[in-house]
Amino acid sequence: VNRLGVWVHFAGLLLATALVALVVHAHLARARRTAEAPGILTVVAALPSPDFALSGSGRHLRHVSLSEPGAAFADEVAIPDGDPAGGAMAPPRAIWVESVQWQVAESPAKSPVTP
Amino acid sequence: VKSAHLSLVGFAAASLRRRRARTVTLVLGLASSVALLSAVSFLTGALRVEATRVREAMPALVVQRLVAGRPALLDPALAPVLERIAAVRSVQPRVWGYLFLASIQSNVAIVGSSARGPITLAEGHDLGPDGRGAVLLGKELAEVLGVRVGDHVMFPRPNHTSKDLVVAGVFSASTSLYTSDVALVHEDDAREILGVPAGSAVDFAVELTNPDESQVAARKASEAFAGARVIERRQLDRTLALVYGRRAGFVLGGSLPALLALFVLAWDRAAGVGPAERREIAVLKASGWSTGDVLRLKLYESLVVGLAGAGLGIVLAYVWCFALGAPGLREILAGWAVLYPRARLTPAVDGAAVLSVLALVIAPFVALSIGPAWRAAGVDPLDAMREG
Repeated sequence: VNRLGVWVHFAGLLLATALVALVVHAHLARARRTAEAPGILTVVAALPSPDFALSGSGRHLRHVSLSEPGAAFADEVAIPDGDPAGGAMAPPRAIWVESVQWQVAESPAKSPVTP
Repeated sequence: VKSAHLSLVGFAAASLRRRRARTVTLVLGLASSVALLSAVSFLTGALRVEATRVREAMPALVVQRLVAGRPALLDPALAPVLERIAAVRSVQPRVWGYLFLASIQSNVAIVGSSARGPITLAEGHDLGPDGRGAVLLGKELAEVLGVRVGDHVMFPRPNHTSKDLVVAGVFSASTSLYTSDVALVHEDDAREILGVPAGSAVDFAVELTNPDESQVAARKASEAFAGARVIERRQLDRTLALVYGRRAGFVLGGSLPALLALFVLAWDRAAGVGPAERREIAVLKASGWSTGDVLRLKLYESLVVGLAGAGLGIVLAYVWCFALGAPGLREILAGWAVLYPRARLTPAVDGAAVLSVLALVIAPFVALSIGPAWRAAGVDPLDAMREG
């Protein structure tokens, strides 16, 4: 029974070490990010806002801090609001492509962007 | 005392081993619930801290103009009107917008470069003093387009022709959260691509001499011309808290049935002292154990299960979020995008957060387990054995 008790303590110590390691890892990652901050700030200052480059499907989500009231419905008629569903609901990309077919037709490489 | 403690812990472990299926179910149920809740909390915290870190890069005020409820272009003659407001240091007209590229089925944020400091890039060089005909691309955008520094890219223009630009540089991975879908070009090139007439601006970035006068300046700016809409920097925190708080609530709300099922299972397993356990307690009491000893044993049992489940859950949540990139969760919490920034989020977890989760899980869990054991330990051993 004593031996089992020692094993339980050992397992507890292992778990505690894992939790401490996790906190130390997080601390080091934060220190690394803080060191990168000046460089990041110069880039972000050149952008419209410090919003994340996420949810580019609609301007009300891409630059969420600058979006106008009711922006979800200004993007497309009766477009489903992707927020708060976020990634759970992807927008109809194929329909968007159809609406800008001229891009494909105009470009000799059948693409508006060529390397 | 040390030996007695070891024996009691060992006895508790042996008791848990005898009820292996129940113990494993409890630990796994607890670990998965804690992992889900902690992962949502870790990820939301990381996004908020990241956003707060760069909030100073946002202008003190952004002035837009709404016509028919939609953003309209601003007349350059409005800039001097804003400059006359006391506390306004500078007004910078900006040109930026979105361009849908059919070839990659994605929107790209076209940003006109205005007066600014030098930029840190992964490769290539900044646009330079003139910079016409060149572009700086986000890392993910450059990869999706398959271009490198020196290559040409062609963006469609509103008049159905294309704008040819040379890739001057690519933003570094450390800025990918902000730049993955960005094409930074000279202001004149941005006007050509987005169809913004010369002189007009999409919005004004306003800097103040004294940030404390932000509210007053914002009110005066909103009265400066018809349709003016002013966004203050301090609103950013609230916006982010609302967006990510709401998304976190959505995820937790969606997983509520699963969490409730696990909770009911844990309650049933922890609160119900079965016949075998009642008999075990009766045997212990008959062989000379006091009620205090029995309760201490049950306390150790719950602590072992609670600590193992909660600790394992926290470790799993951390690995899921920050080592694996939170697959299945990050898209829902952070948002969907074709040009998805692949940069890992920086953990905002500290010792206090870990201890809070442990305390929040273990305290009720132990309380749930001790109550029934205390009731069972109060029963006469002979009666308990006869019933068993």
